[in-house]
Amino acid sequence: MVDNSLALLMSRLDFGWITTLHILYPPLTIGLAAMMFIGELLWLVTSDDHWYRLCRFFEKLLIINFAAGVATGITMELAFGILYGPFSQAAGPFFGQILGYETITAFMYEAGFIGLMIFGWGKIGRKMHLFATFNVALSSSLSALWILVANSWMQTPTGVTLTRGVFVVKDWWQAIFNPDVIYGFPHMLVASFEVALGFVAGVSAWNLLKQRHVALFQRSLKSSILALLVIAPLQVWLGDAMGLTVAGEQPTVLAAMEGHWHANNPDGSPNTDWNLVAWPNAAGDGNAWAIKIPHVLSLLETHSWNGTIRGMDEFPAQDRPPMLVPFYGFRVMVACGFFMVLMAGWGTWLVARKRLTGRAAGSNKWFLRATVFGAFVPFISVWVGWWTREVGRQPWVVYGLMRTSEGVSNMSVAQEVAWLVGYAGFELMVWGATWWFLSKVINEGPAMSNPIPSDGGEGLGTPASGRLRVRGEVETPKAETSVGPGLPSPQPA
Amino acid sequence: MDALTPVQHLLAVGWWLTVAFSMLLYIILDGADLGAGIFSLTVSDEDERGAIMQAMAGTWDANETWLVVGGGVLFGSFPFAYGSALSYLMIPLVLVLWGILTRAVALEFRHLASQRTRRFTDWAFGLSSLTVTFFGGMCVGAVLLGFPLTNEPDRVPTYVGGALRFISPFSIWIGVAAVIAVSLSGGLFVRARFEAQEPVRKRAAIWTNTVFYLAIAAVPISTLWIAIVFPWANRTWFGSYFWVWWLVPLAAIGTSFLMRRASNRNHDIAAMLWLNLTIVIMAAGLLATIYPYMIPDTWTIDAAASREISPFTFWFTVAGLFPVMLMYNWYQIWVFRARITKLASYHA
Repeated sequence: MVDNSLALLMSRLDFGWITTLHILYPPLTIGLAAMMFIGELLWLVTSDDHWYRLCRFFEKLLIINFAAGVATGITMELAFGILYGPFSQAAGPFFGQILGYETITAFMYEAGFIGLMIFGWGKIGRKMHLFATFNVALSSSLSALWILVANSWMQTPTGVTLTRGVFVVKDWWQAIFNPDVIYGFPHMLVASFEVALGFVAGVSAWNLLKQRHVALFQRSLKSSILALLVIAPLQVWLGDAMGLTVAGEQPTVLAAMEGHWHANNPDGSPNTDWNLVAWPNAAGDGNAWAIKIPHVLSLLETHSWNGTIRGMDEFPAQDRPPMLVPFYGFRVMVACGFFMVLMAGWGTWLVARKRLTGRAAGSNKWFLRATVFGAFVPFISVWVGWWTREVGRQPWVVYGLMRTSEGVSNMSVAQEVAWLVGYAGFELMVWGATWWFLSKVINEGPAMSNPIPSDGGEGLGTPASGRLRVRGEVETPKAETSVGPGLPSPQPA
Repeated sequence: MDALTPVQHLLAVGWWLTVAFSMLLYIILDGADLGAGIFSLTVSDEDERGAIMQAMAGTWDANETWLVVGGGVLFGSFPFAYGSALSYLMIPLVLVLWGILTRAVALEFRHLASQRTRRFTDWAFGLSSLTVTFFGGMCVGAVLLGFPLTNEPDRVPTYVGGALRFISPFSIWIGVAAVIAVSLSGGLFVRARFEAQEPVRKRAAIWTNTVFYLAIAAVPISTLWIAIVFPWANRTWFGSYFWVWWLVPLAAIGTSFLMRRASNRNHDIAAMLWLNLTIVIMAAGLLATIYPYMIPDTWTIDAAASREISPFTFWFTVAGLFPVMLMYNWYQIWVFRARITKLASYHA
């Protein structure tokens, strides 16, 4: 039976909501931490203080984003048990251990070094600080690895058997390196880099449009655009490889993503149509209307003119995922991917013609506007990509083995509505606060007048110097930018 | 469920101790931060409140993460207990979570907030610290009470019972006791983190002295309540070796007095360590009483353990990863050990 009870839909909506408002933050943290490491390394190697200023500026943004990520992320660990208790119990032996290792080897690892990275300037030596930043970058990427292992296993659960209601691991190797994670993890990791590069490029472009700190932000704009020239096409390629995995391992997901209801046409010939846009009919067994291009689907999926692709009609109705979200989510994601490729190409062409250098940097207004817009595109792409993946897996929570309706906790609709209202409110508040503070910091711009920390662990300070130090900072004359007393700023040695 | 092999039984006990270790470390480390948050509700000077938050700025995140580690190990090694206990504790855990999230956001965003919104972040910080402590304590109390499970052949037992079952006089009392214990810890933390001449340090001394008497009363009340109400405690504590068990609360009261003496002599770090020892003694006594149960009369350690536990993952985690985690945690606390003044409020 297709379980479309309100309680099930509500619990899916509850979980979908908290994950949707969580996945905004970690990719930016992961990517930005890696970029911070590269920036700090450049500063140490070249002794060019522009890199230091850029690092400190983007670090402020990273902190805000990180706090929001932790706040919304801790919710998720408990939400598994609360909203999906039976799933947590059944999948615990594999899924729980993987998440356990995520907390130990990544979450804790990151927490151990991010404090040093943020507050350690001037208290620990430069190289030690670089090491702390490196660990933050590595640990956040490791975190993505574990999470993707766990989630991919739900997509392609290999290496386990379902015995008396519990997933028993037969082969850890197969379960960890399940077919989906091979491209799933790189796809997410590269998405994180793309999110951060788009973000840095967008913030830099916005500043250049306003003609602020041109010497600083042309550096970050150029370097992130050049990096995107590699990253954006790489992501399109990884996405394509991911699609082939889905086609091979999860035929129902592919059918939903392509709105492919019938494997064969009424006359018995293979249905090779690729739907550009489509809308499902009310009965849910075909499209009400669609704009179709013949042969394209066969070419895409089988690399042949008339290859057969399994349609939704080959699967019982209770095993079919809903079509709309995967279908449009997938298309929007592909469009976002190509937008980033085009933006990187355009930018690289401008860089090559030295039109993003010096005073010219602010003059390509349309490119800069596109780049500001491009800061949002990867976020949208991450959203629709995950919606496609998670809705496409329905009605299964563990694909082919455990239905979502079997994994959901026995909660009343009232409890679920209360949860949704409580967390919807809370997470929207976190989102609003993050947006507000990010805007505030971006608007204030980098602190250009604070002293640069020198090497050594001399910053502990005696009481007297501690007081003088703080006083001195508060009364620092406002130079190029306004540096409020409450802003993070480096400690003079 | 298949029975565990003898090796797996030892591993299950090992994992259980690992969960207990992480949770205790959380209570000790984040307890101080939470208590300082509760204390900050009584502080009227805005800069002092900011400095209290600043005092934990570099470390609160890692301290709090021990809870996540404990939760993660629990999920991985005892999925059956995790899944059913979380259904049982849904409402208090949601409130704990709400508190943790609010506190994190308040801590990180305060230095960016304007003067006006600072009143709001400070209240949010204090109240969320109180919420986490009270409902966290209530969860502990509710777990000691145990909960009913389904009993179907060939199915994993899950929680059966209402969402409000966690509310009982006992669980409410443990919530109150947690607030008392954590307030004490917070007072000592503020004393240890501020410069000697700071006025806030003197007020923290009055606070710890008052809370100390509450704590001295709370220990015997909790012990007697547990001893009288719970058959599992009853059996052990009034059994043939009863005098061994009653040494535990006596030792706890003894270390409490040592804590007070150290605090009065301005030995701030020693006072914190005595308090931590008190917490460890009481927790160890309780865990030993509950053994071989993990959740009294509900899940034994063996029944709740995953059948996938193996020597490799256990030793890899306990001998490989935990020492590294403890090392960089210690380094972090060491780097941020300097005492501060209230002017630190200006420094993010």
